[in-house]
Amino acid sequence: MVVENQISLSRRENKLLKYARSYFSSVKGIVGFSLLLLFIFMAIFAPVIAPYSPDEMTDDVLKPPSAKHLFGTDHLGRDIYSRVVFGSRISLSVGFVAAGLSAVIGVLIGSFSGFYGGITDDIVSKIVDTFLMIPSFFLILIIVSIFGSNILYIMFVIGLTTWPGNARLMRAQALSIRERTFIMVARSTGESRIRILFGHVIPNGVFPVIANSALQMGGAILTEASLSFLGLGDPNLTSWGKLIFQGRPYMTFAPWMIIIPGIFVVLAVLAFSFIGDGLQFTFNPKNRKGE
Amino acid sequence: MSSFARYIIRRSLSIVPMVLLIVALNFFIIHLAPGNPAQLISGLEQPSVEVVKALEKQYGLDKPLVVQLGLYYKNIFQGNLGYSFIYGTSVNGLISERIGATILLTVSAAVIAFALGTLLAVLAGRRKTRILDSIFSVLSYVFYAMPSFWLALVMILLFSSTFKLFPTSGMFNVRASYEGWAKLWDVLHHLFLPCLTLVLIQIPVFFRVTRSSIDQVNQDEYITTFTAIGLPRKKIFRKYVLKNAILPGITIFGLTLGYSIAGAALVEIVFAWPGMGRLMLDAVFRRDYNLLLGIYFVMAVCICVAILLTDVVYAFVDPRIRYQ
Repeated sequence: MVVENQISLSRRENKLLKYARSYFSSVKGIVGFSLLLLFIFMAIFAPVIAPYSPDEMTDDVLKPPSAKHLFGTDHLGRDIYSRVVFGSRISLSVGFVAAGLSAVIGVLIGSFSGFYGGITDDIVSKIVDTFLMIPSFFLILIIVSIFGSNILYIMFVIGLTTWPGNARLMRAQALSIRERTFIMVARSTGESRIRILFGHVIPNGVFPVIANSALQMGGAILTEASLSFLGLGDPNLTSWGKLIFQGRPYMTFAPWMIIIPGIFVVLAVLAFSFIGDGLQFTFNPKNRKGE
Repeated sequence: MSSFARYIIRRSLSIVPMVLLIVALNFFIIHLAPGNPAQLISGLEQPSVEVVKALEKQYGLDKPLVVQLGLYYKNIFQGNLGYSFIYGTSVNGLISERIGATILLTVSAAVIAFALGTLLAVLAGRRKTRILDSIFSVLSYVFYAMPSFWLALVMILLFSSTFKLFPTSGMFNVRASYEGWAKLWDVLHHLFLPCLTLVLIQIPVFFRVTRSSIDQVNQDEYITTFTAIGLPRKKIFRKYVLKNAILPGITIFGLTLGYSIAGAALVEIVFAWPGMGRLMLDAVFRRDYNLLLGIYFVMAVCICVAILLTDVVYAFVDPRIRYQ
């Protein structure tokens, strides 16, 4: 039994290595991954990278970009570069937490529905289809405005409204995996259904959800930025969207206040789209060579 | 033709429960909210119990939630979306005043984006234009990653503040009251920037779908056969690849159109376009329950109708669908 486990483990490692090689063979994959690393580095070492504290008010008010203030200053003399660097923390964590939650819910519901089939599947699919039709941004807007705009709420609400796409992907995977021979073998050896679900179906079918999650991280960052721009962001935190919101009244004579945070949003979302597409390419069996 | 008619009827009927379910979900979320609407309506900080009771009775808020939902459904079927507490008029009136502007903006943007996106994909999909393909592909990623409101602000900075080519906001020039052609021209002049913003945001979607579908069709066996028997590449592309590759774009067109009724809100707000965007934001901020529900209902219907229309057009264009 132990030996058997080790074999399957090393086989999995092999598979991961093959995936990694395939992923890094594409330009998109490399660019996306490097950009993400850069942003993560920026978020972790923000206090070291930023020359000023994000809320520190200097004497330079509404100054254009210069050597002293790389991206200029805002109406209260705060250094935009430092604010953008610290803002990466909020935008990135919104992306990770919201998409992570969406992936967990989607995988659980989708695999359950596809694996068990029958009437459960019919009902769950109908609910998923209905959820997919809902204009989620408007729903998020309502929920945040009613229940408050704490950053945790925002993350949870984005996660709770975006899982149906993941559920659909996972369901299709579970439907195809449950017919495969190794599942029948597992069944015939008397493994319980729950163990088959968590031990075989999910680990073998989760890849499309991972690729989709990367895309959803970008989507979550955009959603948070939109909420902040409408004035519904967390009042105590400064995300990139909020920087644009604050810069809007001054945009005609201090355009750097809105342009620079926007470029960072675009770069972050771009990184996640590249990663998502790279992963999708890697996980697509059609593109795998020599297997 | 009877199978086609049956197909349409079956699809139309399947939409009703979906809309009802969406409305119910929204209804419960709104009514789960902390705070008492009767207290809000009274306009008093600490209204007496009698006042609250009377208001609750007047607006039917004292009944159980399920009964309230039932009443709401009944009103919807009679075409009545209720009364806006904040604006003090009927929700029907508020929405119908503004939906025209929203539809003008979203439909024109979706049509232009569909046409341009498909055209660019076809240009990039031809075998000789590799460089063009890469450039379009990178641009499609960049615009796909752009927050719509930010692009709208940049457009204003560029075209209104710097070059002074287009107005920054509104739908009409308020200082001049144009008539006839001058009025149409005025509206188009105001429409240009918000429409361009939406078009730029939506083109990548159409571009990518059509582009990847061209690749897919190129790999089909009948194309290989045509190439093998020596049909000219140009002819194969024009006659066989193109026809099949445009189909997925139609599906996306319906979806985009449906969702952009909601998605255009941010752009509408930035450009002060007198559509549903601002109304929606007001309703959200001021907790106008009936108005919120009404807008949400109209959006759900728009999305469902757009999807339905797409299905119908699709079934019309591609006969394989309706016989399934």
